[in-house]
Amino acid sequence: MDGVLIPTLVSGLLLGSLYALMASGLSLIWTTLGVFNFAHGALMTLGAYIAWTVTEQLGLGIALGFVCGIGVAVLAGILIELFLVRPFYESRNMMLITVMTTLAASTIIERGISMLWGPRLKQLPRVLDGQVNILGAPVSAHEAMIIGLAPTVLLALWWYTGRTSRGRSLRAVGQNQDSAALIGIDVPRTFSLAFGLSAALAALTGILLGSIRFVTPGLGADPLVNAMIVVIFGGLGSLGATAGAAYVIGLLEALLVLWLGLYWTPSVLFVLLILVLVFRPNGLFGRAS
Amino acid sequence: MSRLLEVKGIRVGYGTVPVLHGIDIHLDEGEAIGLFGPNGHGKTTLLRALSGLLRPEEGSITFDGKDITGAKPATIVAAGLVQAQQGNTMFGDMGVEETLELSAFTPRARKDRKGRLAEVHALFPRLAERRHQRARTLSGGERQMLSIGCAMMCAPRLLILDEPTLGLSPRLKGELREAISVIAEKGVPLIVVEQDVEFLLALTNRLYLIEQGEVASEIDRDNAPDHQEIMDMYFGEQAH
Amino acid sequence: MTHKQRIFALIALALLALAPIFVTDSYTRHVFIIAFIYATVAVNWDLSLGFGGLFNFGHLAFFGIGVYTAAILTTALDISPWLAIFAGGGTAALAALLIALPVAKLQGIYVVLVTFAFGQLCMQIVLSQGDLTGGAEGLVRLPYLSIGDYKFIRDFKFGYYYVGLAILSLSVVMLLFVATSPFGKSLRAVRDNPDYAAARGISVARQRVLVLVVSAVFTGIAGGFYAIYLRVASPEVFGFSTATLVLSMVLIGGVGSILGPVFAALALTFASEAMAGVRGLEEARFIVVALAMILVLRIAPNGAIDIMGRLFGPGRKT
Repeated sequence: MDGVLIPTLVSGLLLGSLYALMASGLSLIWTTLGVFNFAHGALMTLGAYIAWTVTEQLGLGIALGFVCGIGVAVLAGILIELFLVRPFYESRNMMLITVMTTLAASTIIERGISMLWGPRLKQLPRVLDGQVNILGAPVSAHEAMIIGLAPTVLLALWWYTGRTSRGRSLRAVGQNQDSAALIGIDVPRTFSLAFGLSAALAALTGILLGSIRFVTPGLGADPLVNAMIVVIFGGLGSLGATAGAAYVIGLLEALLVLWLGLYWTPSVLFVLLILVLVFRPNGLFGRAS
Repeated sequence: MSRLLEVKGIRVGYGTVPVLHGIDIHLDEGEAIGLFGPNGHGKTTLLRALSGLLRPEEGSITFDGKDITGAKPATIVAAGLVQAQQGNTMFGDMGVEETLELSAFTPRARKDRKGRLAEVHALFPRLAERRHQRARTLSGGERQMLSIGCAMMCAPRLLILDEPTLGLSPRLKGELREAISVIAEKGVPLIVVEQDVEFLLALTNRLYLIEQGEVASEIDRDNAPDHQEIMDMYFGEQAH
Repeated sequence: MTHKQRIFALIALALLALAPIFVTDSYTRHVFIIAFIYATVAVNWDLSLGFGGLFNFGHLAFFGIGVYTAAILTTALDISPWLAIFAGGGTAALAALLIALPVAKLQGIYVVLVTFAFGQLCMQIVLSQGDLTGGAEGLVRLPYLSIGDYKFIRDFKFGYYYVGLAILSLSVVMLLFVATSPFGKSLRAVRDNPDYAAARGISVARQRVLVLVVSAVFTGIAGGFYAIYLRVASPEVFGFSTATLVLSMVLIGGVGSILGPVFAALALTFASEAMAGVRGLEEARFIVVALAMILVLRIAPNGAIDIMGRLFGPGRKT
């Protein structure tokens, strides 16, 4: 049993790390703006394609690929906030409208990518080559890096929103916009910051994914749903809840794949999600708002 | 003597409902003024307009020589016109100390943040005691203190207090009034809205009676009419 | 529906019924057929979204389920395509029942997320159960519709045209019936003022289940027909692009109105097909549709979507 359990746990850690990276950006926008960004997956895809162009097509190396991929995605995120979210701040149905506008943005980005880069599969190189051993289970160095990177990123986010002025302003705006304005916080600019930061996280995730999966226009579609499930589980609340939920689901999924196989796992996970919501309509760690 | 704040002919409404019908008030450097009058007659609306939360349809607001009519709230705070928020919890899930620190957000306010924080702790020792508590766990009076404390952290050149002691127990009212008096003594120009006219008379140089969205009368403490007359004026209005 | 609207609708129906006399080429009829199918889906989506005030973002899953039901029944089990189409409505309704039960008690964004995730889950299942569904490539060569010896593809799709129109018309009639029925009235009551409605004894949860199931029936049938008509079932039907296209029809047509999405569907399908013909615009047309949707939302955000408000959509309602 030992021989199979450890690799499963490691696999779960990897999944959890990926999910945490995927969901953190989504959670950030939700807690700051009360908006669900359906273009989150598309931003992952965008980051991956830009990185591919810089790294593979132009041959400028993976580091620059990261920088450019994240940079372009941040720009896109800020534009999305400016044109597709900001005009609807005061609307009665803002949440619903922004679901639709960000869904539209997702279509635009994915189709645009398909038009510009073509549908053929591409691949990004791994950041690290070779293999390492985690608890006796062999894992590629790239994946091990992801396992280490995710908690680092999460901690950095936690520190940023907990200790710095700008980071705290994100939480403040999320809790009470008027009060935030009255202590001198520029609320629209804070929203741009949230979207930009979220897009950066999305792009980072997309680029990391692009080397373990193929880079296609639909790269971000599955991760979006995974991120969605994580934030629902975690209760759409704090970053901590999202991180916790990500790892719980990652481990759960790894175990389910072990016991039930790849085919049935998504369905079972979905059913579990429904069950959680039935008993705790605000997610596992959520609090009624 | 330069005018710190000049408000001329302000007309404000909510949608099609007009609330303020041409208000003129002013405040000079070093002054403290009070606003009083029946509820629902526009005092809070005026204050919201001053802080940029409402855009006046007509009229002008000049602060420290600059026209701030219709400016964004954050810009107005950055210029030094700060309002302490009344009633609600500012940021329920943030800690007391966090919130105070965050309130020194604008570039002006960031200078000497530590010094100002110490001042606030001196004014409101309770806030120092509860520094790591989340704001939603504070009592009503403590929330008011936090509100005023945050406003002080913004390095105000003019501080607006909208019914700072509303709904508090007599003892807390006293505590807060003490603190407000200390703030006034430090020389921070104040605009205070209060029900208790006695308190306003003790604290401020001039009072405006706001009725039906207009300035019904202006009372100068030095040339004050008889105390009883003021009370009649006030309670007489209340009886309408 | 006002008297004027009724007349308008009947005239439109008559025109559409007579159109094949003037429109005799296969391609234009094809566009009409596709438009009828999308219109059916859109109009039924409006039932749950506009009338029910339910943020169901898995509606296209019902369509896709209809598509694959018909496809699988005709290929794996050799069932008559006519039956398969109706079965599509049945399975879609069943799926609606399954998803409605947990969704009934959820609020706000959770409804959006769970229904959306449900749609994606359906796509996942279709992709993973490749033996049955053909996976990413889908299923092809589904049988033609025919009555006896008459193949409906003959006469430039003459038969298919009328089947498509019939499905749409029946669906619209059903929706009108629902809208004017006590059920429809209670739906609107729940949408406009849930607390008051609950106080009057209307079970919000039961309403939601019913409205989702009802909205799924013809959507599934339209899906089945889509599969049989095109003779293809592909996972594309579960994708974002299709959802955006149909959602635009609902929004541009007017949320809460019944005829609006029908006309929007016709207009958008023709526009979309026209663009598909132009070189370089095949992919771009989805982008154009998405932009159109955003524009509608910008220009009339509360008018086009006044789901929770007291005002109805562009005034075309009972």
